[in-house]
Amino acid sequence: MEDSTQKSKFKSVTVEKPIPLQYDLAILAGFDTNALDESRLKNDTDNYLEEYTRDGTQLIINQIFNLPIKSSELGVMAELPDLVTVLPREKPLPKPKPPTRWEKFAKVKGVQHRKKSKMAYDEATGEWVPRWGYKGTNDDGANDWLIPVPDNAAKKERITKNEARNRRNVEEAEIASNQSKGLNGVNERSLRRAELQKQIIVSKTATASMGKFDKRLEGEPKLKGVKRKFEPIIGDVKKEKESSLNILNKVVGKKGDIVNVRKAIAKRGQ
Amino acid sequence: MLKKIKPKNARSKRELQKREPKIEENVKKAIFIRSSSTSQIVNEALSDLCKLKKPDAINFTKKNNIHPFDDETSLNFFCEKNDTSLFVVGSHTKKRPNNLTFIRMFDGQILDMIEVGIENAKSLNDFKTSKCAIGMKPLFLFNGDLFENSHVHKTFKNILLDFYRGQSVKHINLSGLEHIISVTAINSTLEQSNDPKAMPGLIYFKVYSIKLKKSGEKTPRVELEEMGPSYVFRIRRFKFANDDVYKLATKVPKINKPKKIKNIDVNEMGDKIGRIHLGKQDLGKLQTRKMKGLKRVAEDYEEEYIEEIPTSKKQKV
Repeated sequence: MEDSTQKSKFKSVTVEKPIPLQYDLAILAGFDTNALDESRLKNDTDNYLEEYTRDGTQLIINQIFNLPIKSSELGVMAELPDLVTVLPREKPLPKPKPPTRWEKFAKVKGVQHRKKSKMAYDEATGEWVPRWGYKGTNDDGANDWLIPVPDNAAKKERITKNEARNRRNVEEAEIASNQSKGLNGVNERSLRRAELQKQIIVSKTATASMGKFDKRLEGEPKLKGVKRKFEPIIGDVKKEKESSLNILNKVVGKKGDIVNVRKAIAKRGQ
Repeated sequence: MLKKIKPKNARSKRELQKREPKIEENVKKAIFIRSSSTSQIVNEALSDLCKLKKPDAINFTKKNNIHPFDDETSLNFFCEKNDTSLFVVGSHTKKRPNNLTFIRMFDGQILDMIEVGIENAKSLNDFKTSKCAIGMKPLFLFNGDLFENSHVHKTFKNILLDFYRGQSVKHINLSGLEHIISVTAINSTLEQSNDPKAMPGLIYFKVYSIKLKKSGEKTPRVELEEMGPSYVFRIRRFKFANDDVYKLATKVPKINKPKKIKNIDVNEMGDKIGRIHLGKQDLGKLQTRKMKGLKRVAEDYEEEYIEEIPTSKKQKV
C-alpha cells in the first residue's frame, strides 16, 4: 500500500509502444518505426515532437540504466554492448609490415624477444641501479675529472652498416609488395641494376660537355635519348581537334572564364 | 628508386604516425565549410552543427569555391591536409536555397554525400536554455519507418550517426547523458512541396537537453527541454558509394572478430560439454537379438574376421 502511494508521487517511467524500439546502445541510439500522427505533426509540430521524443528518450534511458553497472571513481558507469550498426571506417585496414631479414631469421630460429628490466643489481655496492644512463652500471669512469675523447670510429662503422641493412630491408619489402601485386618480373637484382644504370647515365652527363668527349669503355651501351616524334601535317582532323582542345583546357582551365571579367572592367574604366 | 616522404623531426614523425591507418580508429573529425555563396541561415546552421560536433570539428569561416557534386578535388585536399573524413558544405543559390551537403570520406575519397535543403531553421542561440557541455556523447532517436525502409533515409541516418557518435567507448557515465538528437522523417501526403528539386517528405532535426528526475524506481523519469538547433530538412541530391568501395570501408579487422567456438558449451551446472563427430555408424554390424536360426556359418565368420575393424560408439566427454 505504502509502495503505491510512494510511486504515485512521481510520474511513470513506463512507455507503451505498438512496435517496440530497436536499439544500438553502443552509440546510445534508438530507432522507432511506429507510425507518426501526421495531422498533429503538421499543426502542433514542436509540442508533438517533444512529447514523442520524450517517450523515445525514456525508453532509451530505461535500456541504458538496465545495462550492467559498475561504480568507479569517475561515477556510475554502464557497460555498453557491441556496436550493431555498420559504420564505415575512415581509412583502410593497416597492412602488416613486411618482416625484416632479422625478423625472418628470428622466426626460423625461434629467437624470442625478452624484455630486459631497466634496473640491474650492482654486486659491488649491493644496490639496484639503472642499467644505463645517469648513475647507471655502464658509466664507469664517467664521473672522473678527466676522460679521454671517445673513439667514435667503431660506432660510425656500426651505424653505416645498420643503415645499409635498413636500406636493403626497405628494398626487399618493396619487391615483396610488387610481387604481391602481381608485378613478377621485378626482382631485387634487376631493380638494383636499373637503378645503377640510371645513376651512371646521370654521372656521365656531369661534365662541361655533357659527356660528349668522354672516353667510351668497350662494350658500353649507347645512350638512347628521347626521340622526337612529329604528327603528319595533313591527316587526322579529330586528333588535331582533340589535342588543341586539350591545350586550350590546360591554359584556360575547366571552370575559369576565358576573359577575366573583373580585370577587363577595370581596364575599360581607365 | 624508393623515395618515401620521411619526417624530418620527431614531432612530425609522431604527427604522421597518428594519421596512419589503425585497427582502432581515431574519432572522425569534421570540417564545416562555406561555399562561394551562403546565407545567414546556412552560416548559422554550419556554426551550430559545428558546436554540436566540438571538439572534433573545424569551422572554416571563409568562403571556398567548393561544389561537391561537381568537383571533389579540393575536398580531397582538405581531407588529407587536416586528417578529417567528414564535411558539411553550406551553400545558398537560387536553384538550391539554403543548402547543406553532408559528406563522408573513405581513404581520402568521397564515400557518400547527401544534400539537404533547410526549410525552417532555429539556431542554438534562439533557445534561451542551458546547453550541454562540450564533448558530451549525445543520445540518438530516429523516428519514422522511413529510416528503416527508404535507402536514402537509411544512409542519411547512418551519416548522422557517424557524424555525432564521437569516440567509441566501452563504458558510459550515467550522469553524462545530457542531450539527445532526435530526427523524425515523414513522407507527408498533407503538405505540398514548393521545391521541385527535392525528394518528397520532411526531416525534423531537433536537439533536446535531458533532465533526469526521480521516479521512485531504478530508472529515472526523463524530461526534455529543447536546446537547439532545430531544422526542417528536405533531401535534395545524393551520391552513394558503390558496393565494392562500401564493402572495403566496412571491413572488420580480424583481431576484433571473436573466434567462433564450435561444439563446446557449458550446461546449467557449469560443466563443460563438448561434442565429437565419430563418423557414420555401420548399421549392418548392429547386434540384434541372437537366435539360433540367424547364426552364420563358420566360413562366413572367417571371412568377416579378417576385415573386422573395431567399431566406435557414440560417447560424451
